[in-house]
Amino acid sequence: MTQAMVNCLIFLPLAGALLCLLVPRPMVRSLAMLTTLATLAINIVVAQAYYTTDRKGAEFVTSVKWIDALNVFYRVGVDGLSLPLCLLTTGLSVLVLLASWRVDRAVRAYMSLYLLLLSTMLGVFLSMDLFLFYVFFELSLVPMYFLIGIWGGPKRAHAAIKFFLYTLAGSVCLLIVMLGIYFTTSRLPTGNTWLLTDAKTDSKEVSLIDPQVREMFMTRSEAEQKKIDTNRAAAEANKRVFQEPRKGMFVWLLPWFFWLSFVAFAVKVPVAPLHTWLPDAHVEAPTPISMVLAGVLLKLGGYAMMRVTWPLFPEAAHRFWFFVAVLGVFGILYGALCAMAQTDWKRLVAYSSVSHMGFVILGLAVLTRTAFDGAYFQMIAHGVTSAMMFFIVGVVYERAHHRDIDRLGGIWLRFPGLGFWSIVGFFAAMGLPGLCGFVGEVMVLLGTFAAGAKEQVSATMPMRAISLGALAAVSVVLTAGYVLWMFQRVYMGPEHPQYVHFRAISVREYVILGVLGVMAVVLGVAPVLVFDATGGTVDTLFEIFKSTAKVMASGGV
Amino acid sequence: MNVFVNPTLPTSSELKQLLPELSLVVAMVCVLVQPLSERLRAGLTTALAMAGLLASSVYAAQSIGQTGEARILSGMLTIDALSQFYKTLAGGFTLAVVVLGALTGSAQRVMRRDMPDMLCLLLGATLGMMLMASASNLLMIVVAIEAASLPSYVLAGVGASGRRGSEGAVKFAVFGAACSCVTIYGMSLLYGVTGSLELGVIVSRIAEMSTVTATVGSGGAMWAMPAMVWMGLLATLAGVGFKLSTVPTHFWCPDVFEAAPVEVAAFLSVASKGAAVCLLLRVLSELGAAGASLSLGRSLGEGVPFESVALVVGVVGAATAFWGNLAALGQVNIKRMLAYSSIAQGGYMTMAASLLAVSGRLQGTGASAVVSSVMFYFFVYVFMNLGAFSVAAVVKQRFGSDDVRDYAGLAVRSPGLAVVLTIFMLSLFGMPGLGGFWAKVGLMKVMSSAGGWGFVLVAVLLINTVLSLYYYLRPVYYAVLVPERGDRPGLGWRSVWAVLALCAIVVVWTGLLPNDAMRLASWGGSVVTRAAAAATTGTSLVRPAGGDRVRPMEPARR
Repeated sequence: MTQAMVNCLIFLPLAGALLCLLVPRPMVRSLAMLTTLATLAINIVVAQAYYTTDRKGAEFVTSVKWIDALNVFYRVGVDGLSLPLCLLTTGLSVLVLLASWRVDRAVRAYMSLYLLLLSTMLGVFLSMDLFLFYVFFELSLVPMYFLIGIWGGPKRAHAAIKFFLYTLAGSVCLLIVMLGIYFTTSRLPTGNTWLLTDAKTDSKEVSLIDPQVREMFMTRSEAEQKKIDTNRAAAEANKRVFQEPRKGMFVWLLPWFFWLSFVAFAVKVPVAPLHTWLPDAHVEAPTPISMVLAGVLLKLGGYAMMRVTWPLFPEAAHRFWFFVAVLGVFGILYGALCAMAQTDWKRLVAYSSVSHMGFVILGLAVLTRTAFDGAYFQMIAHGVTSAMMFFIVGVVYERAHHRDIDRLGGIWLRFPGLGFWSIVGFFAAMGLPGLCGFVGEVMVLLGTFAAGAKEQVSATMPMRAISLGALAAVSVVLTAGYVLWMFQRVYMGPEHPQYVHFRAISVREYVILGVLGVMAVVLGVAPVLVFDATGGTVDTLFEIFKSTAKVMASGGV
Repeated sequence: MNVFVNPTLPTSSELKQLLPELSLVVAMVCVLVQPLSERLRAGLTTALAMAGLLASSVYAAQSIGQTGEARILSGMLTIDALSQFYKTLAGGFTLAVVVLGALTGSAQRVMRRDMPDMLCLLLGATLGMMLMASASNLLMIVVAIEAASLPSYVLAGVGASGRRGSEGAVKFAVFGAACSCVTIYGMSLLYGVTGSLELGVIVSRIAEMSTVTATVGSGGAMWAMPAMVWMGLLATLAGVGFKLSTVPTHFWCPDVFEAAPVEVAAFLSVASKGAAVCLLLRVLSELGAAGASLSLGRSLGEGVPFESVALVVGVVGAATAFWGNLAALGQVNIKRMLAYSSIAQGGYMTMAASLLAVSGRLQGTGASAVVSSVMFYFFVYVFMNLGAFSVAAVVKQRFGSDDVRDYAGLAVRSPGLAVVLTIFMLSLFGMPGLGGFWAKVGLMKVMSSAGGWGFVLVAVLLINTVLSLYYYLRPVYYAVLVPERGDRPGLGWRSVWAVLALCAIVVVWTGLLPNDAMRLASWGGSVVTRAAAAATTGTSLVRPAGGDRVRPMEPARR
């Protein structure tokens, strides 16, 4: 039963998307709302059911053979990593739909594409098969391209194609990794596998995170061995010294696989040098789509790293932790500095996303339990706060028709209610204790310092980790700087005369602000809600990380 | 060796194998004779042609699932899964082209009174292409290529108007004639060196003649063929390259597509290309089979037989893919864009096919895996390309324009048309969830199974995929994102909905549930395994005396 419900999470929005094309125009909005509400309800039921299990691995897994030639399965299920993000997605989808209530151009197409996007995003989170995951990951680009491209701002076409090309170039890198995985796991006695977790299915497949598979990457295939033997014979015949390669042919590829899959997802996160699509896409996208983009789509990248890159290539993740961490810290600081320099309000919020998502990368890189949990929490928290910030910008933009921070001011006097919720939203993003942004950032920073406290994989780690942590901590000041400065310029000061004609904030808008604001507070005071769900799954992951760390510390690989 | 002196008469079982071709011949005669009677209606001509194509396709489809091969007509033609697979698709595809032409009315508009002649030419070209897919003798290859080309020249020129149009048609004919000359010259060299016209005999003689030269220092070895053989092979492949429009014999393609009616362009881009792909697969798999029988170097770069051939063909394919995609980036005419797109797609197929020449080295099921993956690609390509051209045909019919910028506002006027256009474009690009994706994944799988420069081919394919996204999205961009300029007539696209819906359904079906189509394609590639297996036991090297003249005939096994 719950198994069927997990499938419903993907197919209900898809069915809604198709139905939207058929029903009479006035009913489209209600139908879409009904679909998202139903999806949310199903998701809550699934979540409750998940809490009754031992929460160790994937539950309620549906497993159906999909592509014979490549041994691809349609395999969806829920585990600790996917469930909170699913709830974030389905919950946010209702609010985003409320925010899109006033879209009046081509409503039918809008709602249909929006529900399609929802379906593909949930597909990414629920996939327990790497290939299926890839398909959903790519498919989510198409509705987004149209949503930005049709309903966006003046330079929408440019922003849409840039978004599409950037992300696509990234995912092509993943395809290379998948070919490598295919040829490595083909040597398994049970045939090749795409299974992403230790799912409880009756199939006898080996999971990709199983040590056996990593062993496969390390050892030579028969063909390679034969080739070495032949070469040795040839070399001896030629009286030359033959140097036998120590490991299998995929060993030198492993770092490449790690970096390729990292880049594939780093574009989506985005990690600093690859982030340039994001400000453009955000500025041009309509408000509700910006909310989804920042709230959920960026998380696909972070989630994918936790689901694919790190568990599959833990050795490389340990080995290159410093480079990844540097990228994370660079993103944190660079994003914050860029945000400070913006005069376009929406662009400011967009750059703040780059900064906040940098914490996810840093938390992943140092790979301590606290930092990992913090990184995961940061994704949920950022989902709530960034959606809220983009919505607030949208509310003002809808009335003022511009987003120039210098031309705004005194919003508080005209809209004290909005001002209150803005405090909640922006301060939560800033990391005020008691609000959700605080928990994630602090846990990542603590985890980074903890990595410095004890020697983990290398002797140089403590010093480096502490320096990086200290640098990242500077961003707290920078973030406070740009948020407070923005607050001062937009909300404080005398009221502008043209504000008199502005519509009052509607109930619909208050509902969206209220729900997001309450969530920011609830997550801030009770972060354990998230950790309850993730705990078991993260335990499993850390067994892998710890065992590989031990191997690395003892000088292996 | 003399097929001329003592030809054996075809037996009835041999003729039965030729039913797909024969039904086309009958249809051609009917189409030509029918207008002599004044009382018969013009629509009947089209119906006759359609009946002939349908019969041809159905006859070919009857052998689906059968393995084994039959060499008929003194070894001139090989009837195997590959050829039957192509004939089924080509018959059905040409049928769809005729239907499309009848529905959009552009064929009648252009050709009006010449309709029967045009249909006859179309059938004749299809006949030639079917023979190309079966040909296993140099003479037959020449005849088949010419039979496919000559009607194509006329078809390309018939709707041509103005200087550009004539230029396209003339370029096509001149290029074709030149390539034929080169091909025949190359074949004469091969015949001179090997003393045979039989493809299988030629390659095994070449294998005997070639030597392995150890290169001093590196410890590796090189596979070396006599220079004369090299010239002969390359010149022979030039003819195939012309039909496949690979670099450097691709220049005719954009001009012809731009000048010709959309239906003819669709026909040339799919049926003609498919026939050339089949011929290339046949030649290269014979090479691979002959090479596999020689127990020499086992990995690339160590003197694998014919690896230099694979390298040359692979480089040509890669250059074609790059050229097609880079040139397509700047096109605003949809037909020119689709022409370059089909050049690039042909390049992908050529890249994968090149590995056949070293099929002995491939892991897994070897040669049959390569042919199957190319055939699956071709299967999907038929539908997505036909779909894309159909959309272009509908728009041309109503707007009178091939300019992509005139697609503006299509989504508002005809949302359905915009949706199918998006599906075809994204599938051509290779979006997951659509057939084009699995087709590309299949090619990548066989490429990387070769190791060595197979990985380079994969990289080329991936880079090209990213490049191609930009231009495949351009029609979608204008159709969906750009608002309409001025008043435009509504599109009566409903008249061709049957063709469009069929293509869209197949593309989505192969994207979501590709198993059946993959199984069909792997049947299409199944025969080569047998040839390769025979070669490994050494039978292909030692031919029985007089075996050139009368091949043992093996009817297909049920």
